[in-house]
Amino acid sequence: MHKFLSEGPLTAEQLSRLMSLMKDRSDTGGHSLFIGQVRADIVNNKSVTAIEYSAYESMVNDEAESIIAQIRTEFSDVKTVEILHSTGIVKAGEVSLAVMVSAGHRQQAIQACSKTVELIKERLPVWKKELLEDNSHIWRENRG
Amino acid sequence: MFFGVLAEVTGTTFLNYTGVKTLSDLRQRITDRHPEIVHYNYRIAVNNLFTDDDCTLSDGDEVAFLPPFAGG
Repeated sequence: MHKFLSEGPLTAEQLSRLMSLMKDRSDTGGHSLFIGQVRADIVNNKSVTAIEYSAYESMVNDEAESIIAQIRTEFSDVKTVEILHSTGIVKAGEVSLAVMVSAGHRQQAIQACSKTVELIKERLPVWKKELLEDNSHIWRENRG
Repeated sequence: MFFGVLAEVTGTTFLNYTGVKTLSDLRQRITDRHPEIVHYNYRIAVNNLFTDDDCTLSDGDEVAFLPPFAGG
């Protein structure tokens, strides 16, 4: 599977590996890390127990690369952008998204990380099926 | 190719067609086969690029029916 997608919940080892990528960069002063987790929302009076993610893999690759290029153009101090999104089933309380942006200084690291997450929500061809406690499900769309 | 809720309503993730010249022709064939699809919002990408109905198709083109995204 491509580097932007990972089957199942993201592990502590995967998140640790992301953070270790920058350890030898002497031009980097700040890292901003966003971790997305499945929340046990209440839908139609039923609890979400998990989300099943599906993706159009080849288009994810293209769009993720495009998002990274856009971020690096808009934020000149950004050194690297890492994106890792789950596919398959991720239970409530488990991690489904990691975005890490490294920059020379903290301000752009934080702003660029936030912008990257918004662009992922807008442009990454990923779909989520919320699995409910009674074994029914509902397809969720991003709004706004 | 069908993704998200469209894969569920059509009961498939992949259909193979030959001799289809334009995207509008393909859309009509799909709608004839799966009329329920008209009730759903979606965009169409050809070879990973969003396009419109007057797009011409060639053998080997990959056409994806994409519901609104829900990543992140």
